[in-house]
Amino acid sequence: MCTSSHRHSLHCILPPYILSQIAKNGSPEMRAMAVRSLLIDPTIRIVRASTAGPVTGAIARRRAAAGNILTPSPLRTIRDAGGEPEAPGATVVRREGDGPTGDVAADEAYDGLGATFTLFWEAYQRNSIDDAGLPLDATVHYDQDYDNAFWDGTQMVFGDGDGQLFNRFTISLDVIGHELTHGVTEKEAGLTYFNQSGALNESISDVFGSLVKQRLLGQSADQADWLIGAGLLTAKVNGVALRSMKEPGTAYDDPVLGKDPQPAHMKDFVRTNQDNGGVHINSGIPNRAFHLAANAIGGNAWDRAGQIWYNALLDPNTRANTDFAGFARVTIDVAGRLYGSGSAEATAVIEAWSAVGVI
Amino acid sequence: MQGKACDDTVMGEARVRIEGGLAHFPGLAKEQSVSFGDLDSPERQELTILAKQADFFDCSPANDTARPDARTYTVGLTIDGRSREIRLADPIRDPAMAKLVSVVRRLSKRHGVDR
Repeated sequence: MCTSSHRHSLHCILPPYILSQIAKNGSPEMRAMAVRSLLIDPTIRIVRASTAGPVTGAIARRRAAAGNILTPSPLRTIRDAGGEPEAPGATVVRREGDGPTGDVAADEAYDGLGATFTLFWEAYQRNSIDDAGLPLDATVHYDQDYDNAFWDGTQMVFGDGDGQLFNRFTISLDVIGHELTHGVTEKEAGLTYFNQSGALNESISDVFGSLVKQRLLGQSADQADWLIGAGLLTAKVNGVALRSMKEPGTAYDDPVLGKDPQPAHMKDFVRTNQDNGGVHINSGIPNRAFHLAANAIGGNAWDRAGQIWYNALLDPNTRANTDFAGFARVTIDVAGRLYGSGSAEATAVIEAWSAVGVI
Repeated sequence: MQGKACDDTVMGEARVRIEGGLAHFPGLAKEQSVSFGDLDSPERQELTILAKQADFFDCSPANDTARPDARTYTVGLTIDGRSREIRLADPIRDPAMAKLVSVVRRLSKRHGVDR
């Protein structure tokens, strides 16, 4: 019910039949407001009815023409699997607009989905994963002693960790951003999750996962830690994170987990049948290229460097089987289109890919 | 629980190898196995019952492809002379199979040995 006196009647959601009753039976002031709403509202309601749904393209223009400009906002639903290996979880614990639940994992998931939505909208004008307002769903407390988080094609799924090696997987904001970015990649370039295209897929998730964190913390490229999954490893592990984009191969060296296997240069590219052809291993190479480019460009990494990588992901020349060199060419081309072929940005991108041995 | 499902004399072994996930850890990328002889009676019974509920030895392969950061499980069971190994990927949609894999994973971690 719209009772606040400062709100305009157009913002109310009162149906016409109620407005009609108020116009007949309300106080003089209420009747006047109801009549005004009834006179204006049909136009807006018709536009709303004909444009319900995503706020993009022609629809956004029609809404704008009707003076009804909506800023996209996330539509989040967090479910609790209660320790069972089922996703979506059986219990909805928080919907969009609800206050914190007190469940740390549920609230971190909610906030992380929101921060990721905000980066993609405010920095790249992308309305959710599909650029069409896709609702953001997540399931927390998946299974028991579950040391992972993943995007299942429709939702985010988070385990609580085993408490021995891993903490809960909602603890790192960049991990949440990483997983949602897999959804963006799936909708855009569709990079095949195997070998170099798979490692590129992983790297793009690391890039935008890190940018979600950097933007929320207000950190410029030279201030950021460039770690993926900081806080995820328990104090019993000799390591700081899952990966380092700045110094691939240095995130952990532990008797149980082993040593971080990520290479920082093409000369150390790892050929393996494990891990879908090393998608989480060789992603260190393009990760470092982005870090080098962002630092050379300077300022906030989500601005110019992020724009170049985002537009490269959307570029038709980035295809399902694009390898590192192919993506490097696209980023160089995009940097030239956005900032000029001889610009500092384009030069930084060329030098970054050269420094990691891709070109 | 009926018949052999709750028989403490049931012998067997459970094995699991986990690949994929949000990161690749060389130290965790190996098969773990646990003999039924190293399990408590309730654990042994739970495994046997879940294997039956999931129709582990006779079900059709799921033919799952791993999604980004989803883990794949190569699960092997030997129970009373019957043996089978199957490969599954998260999320495992069949609830009984998901529960079985979860229990094999946790028991192998708790009691098992690396191979």
